[in-house]
Amino acid sequence: MRSKLVVLFLLALFSRAESQENVAMPANDPEIGIVEHLDTILSPGIMVIGETGDTVPLLSLINKPTILNLVYYRCPGICSPIMNSLAEVVDKLDMVIGKDYQILTVSFDAREDISLAVKKKQNYINMVKKEIDPAGWQFMTADSLDIANLCNTVGFRFKIVGNDFLHPGMIAVFSPQGKLTRYLFGTYFLPFEVKLALAEANKGLSGPTINRVLQFCYTYDPQGRQYVLNVTKVSGILILAIGLIVILVLILKPKRKNHQQ
Amino acid sequence: MSETAAQLNFFQETQGRKGILAWILSTDHKRIGLMYMYTIMVFFIVGVLLGLGIKMELIAPGLTVMGPQAYNSFFTVHGVIMIFVIVIPGLPAIFGNFFLPIMIGAKDVAFPKLNLFSWYLFIIGIITVLISLFTFGGPPDTGWTFYAPYSFKTTTNMFPAVLGAFILGFSSILTGLNFITTIHRMRAPGMRWMKMPLFAWSIYGTGWIQLFATPIVGITLLMIIAERFLKIGFFDPALGGDPILYQHLFWIYSHPAVYIMILPAMGVISEIIPTFARKGIFGYNAVVISTMAIAIVGYFVWAHHMFTSGMSTTAQFVFSLLTFFVAIPSAIKVFNWVATLYKGSIRLEVPLIWALGFLFLFMIGGFTGLFLGAVATDVHVHNTTFVVAHFHYIIFGGMGSAFFAALHYWLPKMYGRMYNKYWATVGWATFFIGFNVLYFPMFILGYQGMPRRYYDYLDQFHGLNIVSTLGAFIMVAGIFVIILNLIRGARHGEQATMNPWEGRSLEWTVPSPPPLENFDEIPDLTKSSAHPA
Repeated sequence: MRSKLVVLFLLALFSRAESQENVAMPANDPEIGIVEHLDTILSPGIMVIGETGDTVPLLSLINKPTILNLVYYRCPGICSPIMNSLAEVVDKLDMVIGKDYQILTVSFDAREDISLAVKKKQNYINMVKKEIDPAGWQFMTADSLDIANLCNTVGFRFKIVGNDFLHPGMIAVFSPQGKLTRYLFGTYFLPFEVKLALAEANKGLSGPTINRVLQFCYTYDPQGRQYVLNVTKVSGILILAIGLIVILVLILKPKRKNHQQ
Repeated sequence: MSETAAQLNFFQETQGRKGILAWILSTDHKRIGLMYMYTIMVFFIVGVLLGLGIKMELIAPGLTVMGPQAYNSFFTVHGVIMIFVIVIPGLPAIFGNFFLPIMIGAKDVAFPKLNLFSWYLFIIGIITVLISLFTFGGPPDTGWTFYAPYSFKTTTNMFPAVLGAFILGFSSILTGLNFITTIHRMRAPGMRWMKMPLFAWSIYGTGWIQLFATPIVGITLLMIIAERFLKIGFFDPALGGDPILYQHLFWIYSHPAVYIMILPAMGVISEIIPTFARKGIFGYNAVVISTMAIAIVGYFVWAHHMFTSGMSTTAQFVFSLLTFFVAIPSAIKVFNWVATLYKGSIRLEVPLIWALGFLFLFMIGGFTGLFLGAVATDVHVHNTTFVVAHFHYIIFGGMGSAFFAALHYWLPKMYGRMYNKYWATVGWATFFIGFNVLYFPMFILGYQGMPRRYYDYLDQFHGLNIVSTLGAFIMVAGIFVIILNLIRGARHGEQATMNPWEGRSLEWTVPSPPPLENFDEIPDLTKSSAHPA
């Protein structure tokens, strides 16, 4: 019985491994995710298309602590929650957007045009309850070469799947000199966390962060990625079965007499 | 047992072995309990000093004594040592080993060799964790939760740390199995279930949690290792995995583990309060049922650690509700302890002072837990120092106080000597003041929004952080007074009598220190009507 269970467990592990082998990647170079490039300075050659349709160097727009927000506007997944959270942060922060800091949202989908960006901007600016200077939160696009350069600078790795993207959820904070000082991961950002990141960026201080509950925008295809045996289920059943056996033995097997003599 | 052996205590009866061999080859449950205690105390001091380093860094904004990477490593190693090496094994491994067999009238645990093997696994686990600190890659920096995907992406030395935690988990499972079997099989004649001391009941509940919950974290940690080296893709979305799955698996173990920490502490308090109130515990049956209720309901509340990680509103509601349910048995216990004191003929000795301190700190920890159990307030204070303060009030204020209460209660039995009560009281008072000055400001800081796990903070938080760091120094001074007084007491204190506190459970009927096999004859309790607690 015991050997069968061991075989079953190994089979479960192996089957899981087999189902994923086509997508295996080296650990230090993830296909999707963030490779941190703290202290990197933005290249002046990276151009973006601003809300007026003009193409300008991204670095020229950065003259105060800046949150860089990489999304694609058609995203059905985590891009909207990230921008919702930013709108909430803008509301709650006692710093003034446009004066003390700014947000630059850039699409990493070269197929998206600036009219879509402007439309999105209206949505998110409307979400902010307090009066703000709209110039403090700019929505932009870029061409594919500039997107690739920008994403390489930030270490933002994404992958095109069909019409959509698999991508991580994060914001990056730059100093007024264009130095990358902080990554904040996830889709929800605490106002004080953002404020601290902006204050450090203002001083040009960079630092690693512990809170790396990195969230990804991804889809799960139940047809193509079905597990033959699920490790967690097999393990759970094994644990419960062994526990049950212990209980039954202790309750049903009679006590030996004189066991302590 | 020969007459000579009966006259020697377990320190003197070395079974023909000399020096350190008399300890590391001994299967005597009392010696194993003490070996756990010595190991745990050494690492406790290391953990305390790491914690002090964290507070020193936070005394002022910006870089004070260490940079961000060192800070990340400090709080990770502080957490790993405190949780896996001290708090989880602490009370069961030390006092469960030493006193459980005596309390139920047995000569040893059911599997003495397995018991010694558990201690070896414990030591191997610690060494493996230590390797992660000093070999290539440097100490891990993920926090003690080893959250995915960071735990398989960090360049620091994760593998030995995770493997060490896995081995420590095995030690915990075997200890739990041993205690459960001991309680089922080795109770003295007449020691019926509902006559068993409440500390033994708490060890029983804890044993089941260790047996059922610890394998889950073992498998999860193995999955991280497989993910890191074989690229299997359990948790990494780039490989088709799900990072939230890791959080679920981790907390399915780690929340019940909180009850591994706190249940034996409650058991200790349930022994001490009736002894010093000099009356039986109020509502013995209710305390027993609430112990088992905590052990069972504790399995179903794990996702309250993940309200902001992404889950459905229904799941949030269900886990929030269940979290409130688990507060009920804890509240029942607190009520019963207070009711036991009511109209008792109270003798205010050092162990009772610690137990009263436990009640105060545990209640603050418990009530602030309700803020975190309710989704709306949890979202506000999530990942702030509020959580850190709550956790330390429960674990350090609760389990830590019970640990010191147990040391002061049972030290005369373990060593046959009494510590200096004046210095013990001074130590407690210093600890108690320092503890509150250290942790209470963190509730306010967290409520105001100071994030945890940062080496830096905004200027507006400076004042309370100075107070908190000052509290840390006071508390650490108290801890050193307590420990030095206990060491001095154990070595040079006055001879203690067999029953200095007039306790009614079986350990007070054997000599101090107890002989090798505890009893000349297995006690027969068939004629005794009351439970011993």
